[in-house]
Amino acid sequence: MTMARVAITGIGMVTPLGNDVASTWNALLGGESGVREIAGFDASGFPTWIAAEVRGLRAEEAVEDRKSLKYATPFSLFALAAAEEAVRDAGVRPTPKTAERWGLVCGSGMMTQEFDFLQRFQREFAADGEIDLARLGAEGERFISSPEFARHRTVAGQALLHKRYDIRGYSANLHTACASGGQALGMAMRVVRSGQADYVLAGGYDTMINPIGLAGFCLLGAISTDNDRPASASRPFDRTRNGFVLGEGAGFMVLEDWQRAQDRGAKIYAELAGEGNSLSSYRITDSPPSGDGPIQAIHGALADAGETIDAIDYVNAHGTSTPMNDLSETNAIKAVFGDRAGNLAVSSTKSQMGHLIAAAGAVEGVICALAIEHSMAPTTTNLRTPDPECDLDYVTEGCRPMQIGVALSNSFGFGGSNSCLIFRSPQRAETRGR
Amino acid sequence: MPDRVVITGYGCLTASGGDAEATWKAVLAGESGIRQAETWDSSGWPYRLAGEIKNYSPRELVADRKLLKFITRQDVIGLNAVTQAVAHSGIIEHRDGLADPTSFNDRTGVFVGSPATKYRSQHDYLPSLADAGGAPREFGARAMEDVHPMWLLRALPNNVLAYAGIQYGFKGANANVTAHGISGSQAIAEACRYLRDGAIDRAIVVGYDSASELEALPYYASVGLLSSRGLRPFDRRRDGTLLGEGAGALFLETRDDAERRGAKIYGEVLGSSVVSEAEGVLSVREDGEGVRRAIRLALEDSQKSPDEIGMISAHANGTRLSDSSEARAFVDIFGASSIPVTGFKWSLGHTIAASGVIESILTLLCLADGRIPGIPTLEELSPDCEGVSASAAEQKPRSSVGIVVSRAFAGLNSCIVLSTNG
Repeated sequence: MTMARVAITGIGMVTPLGNDVASTWNALLGGESGVREIAGFDASGFPTWIAAEVRGLRAEEAVEDRKSLKYATPFSLFALAAAEEAVRDAGVRPTPKTAERWGLVCGSGMMTQEFDFLQRFQREFAADGEIDLARLGAEGERFISSPEFARHRTVAGQALLHKRYDIRGYSANLHTACASGGQALGMAMRVVRSGQADYVLAGGYDTMINPIGLAGFCLLGAISTDNDRPASASRPFDRTRNGFVLGEGAGFMVLEDWQRAQDRGAKIYAELAGEGNSLSSYRITDSPPSGDGPIQAIHGALADAGETIDAIDYVNAHGTSTPMNDLSETNAIKAVFGDRAGNLAVSSTKSQMGHLIAAAGAVEGVICALAIEHSMAPTTTNLRTPDPECDLDYVTEGCRPMQIGVALSNSFGFGGSNSCLIFRSPQRAETRGR
Repeated sequence: MPDRVVITGYGCLTASGGDAEATWKAVLAGESGIRQAETWDSSGWPYRLAGEIKNYSPRELVADRKLLKFITRQDVIGLNAVTQAVAHSGIIEHRDGLADPTSFNDRTGVFVGSPATKYRSQHDYLPSLADAGGAPREFGARAMEDVHPMWLLRALPNNVLAYAGIQYGFKGANANVTAHGISGSQAIAEACRYLRDGAIDRAIVVGYDSASELEALPYYASVGLLSSRGLRPFDRRRDGTLLGEGAGALFLETRDDAERRGAKIYGEVLGSSVVSEAEGVLSVREDGEGVRRAIRLALEDSQKSPDEIGMISAHANGTRLSDSSEARAFVDIFGASSIPVTGFKWSLGHTIAASGVIESILTLLCLADGRIPGIPTLEELSPDCEGVSASAAEQKPRSSVGIVVSRAFAGLNSCIVLSTNG
């Protein structure tokens, strides 16, 4: 039995670098930074007041169905806009006949209650900071509106996407922190392979750039406090790196069976060829310095794709710019690739767009597809002071023109979930398929 | 032929019992764990019935006391079920006798149905908000002073996944499903996918939830989903659901592996499905289309026909539309009155993300003991549920195969097919 191959036939992105694929890719090529002083709210009371925010997204333009806007939180709007671009790009969408054969697999963020709501809730039920239980019991149900109820569900975004596209088949809503988007693409690939769906709309969407999300990361000390130099605050693999920078956005893909895509004459960006999924089981916030955990995920992805270490040309690193992640990831790459590690082009696009948390793996998957299509490895910006322990080829000179037959994308999450994905160029996929 | 997936351990913690046996005995005896909520002062609340864990003691439920600083009540409940199921499977004793436990751990997965972040954790910021009096800059400064530095880690939706891995050293494929009422069932389904794909050889699966926390009740009441009287599935006078806390866990292995190590096999997961009705967060189709399709796909996946199915564990959450629509789906597929139907939420409350796993365990026990508990709160079958063979009386399964139906917001429906293999 030959396993079905999975084609990427549509892509969409909303990122701090641009509100669609073309503008994001052009900004990546131009080495631009999406990191600025936070504009969405007054963050000046926090130790960190910079982030990479999505700017100028007009949801009303992206979403034709006005009624559904009532049910959308900021990050589900990112999802709707990026999904719309991916579906249009694929040139295929669910019809009454095919709706049950379409699936939806997403990694979504954890901030489901809006800050504005929390503030109103506090004024109404916790005037002195403690919940007035009698009052909440008596008035609570009238305080919460029906759209608010819907918006605050963990499946709110999933529901919007299902309805918008009339996707009636397989559905998964996942959250493993920063690995969510990668794991969603991996699971979606398996759904297509198994024949459970003919098409899967797959992606990730998130924002934690709100007062509660920012507070959580500031309290942990996980994000950079380089407020005076936002553009270089995210500097993966640099010796002076001091934490990541929050980003937000969404990345989506349409995945479908390779043969089906060819038969309908679809443009195929790349093959989503393999998934490695592992758990570090070490600490909640860190991977082990040895790279254990990520090592198994990279091996797993290679084996699943039927590729060896010699085939990989480009690695889109998790590269968060935290001291421990970048060391652990570098060591994982060295452990897996041995002598070849130095010949790999490795870059972290988080240097430009920050860390999109649950969306990161999905957006970086789209970037891998583009890197293959354009024969261009994105750069790692801001790496000016080499770290003797991080000594791979991080593509620091600017974007690098190069043929990419096989790309690897890494995502490692708080909690220890690791997702590694293998993307194969259409040419290589065809050669192998024969 | 893909590997077959068997169940070699299980455990649960519910309002009705501290483990699977106690829960099973309570359900068989017609006992409900639903009471007036006691974890906060609920006097005066119009809706105050909930299935809370009795005598909750985190120090007794989780062995690693240092861990309690970093996790919340829902995580404690989830980890307790994990510990029960892993102990029940005897897998650690087996691993510790192996020459190569490292590759064993690398091939052991963790699949979780999680409630995701709860409102309670966000309420840790209420004092800072009150002190700041609406001034955003002041809020930032206050929050840095007032809130626990590990707040974000305590709030992570994947804590049970992470700590189940750390506790046992399991390092294989994993997923954290945050899909409301089908989370638990889908965690089982996804574990089976990775087992069948050969990515892992075994997995711990857990669904957990503290669905009845006080912050959740006004939400559910606001859209009219809560009953103030009691949960009465399929009853003419049913008027809503009740929420509950709980967790259930299964240890799954490929049949080959389980047989090789001489494990006791309690049952088999034959197949599964997930579908969406695609009509919004709250909409439920009256005709049961999603449930019908979920059952059909799961039967297909299991290579079973409707007449081979011995019982149905229904979603049976006591809301008007969910019960009547799933009743229509059962009658459409299995014919009127021809297959025993039961549900368990009348006793445990609706444990949302945990329900699919807990109800799979109870279904397994029904099949193993040949007894299907009745639904004591079902006094008069509702006309819109006509044809469903559910009542207060106990029934017998028609075969060793049962199905478990779970439903969720976003129009999600899932079906798990289980057997005891005779």
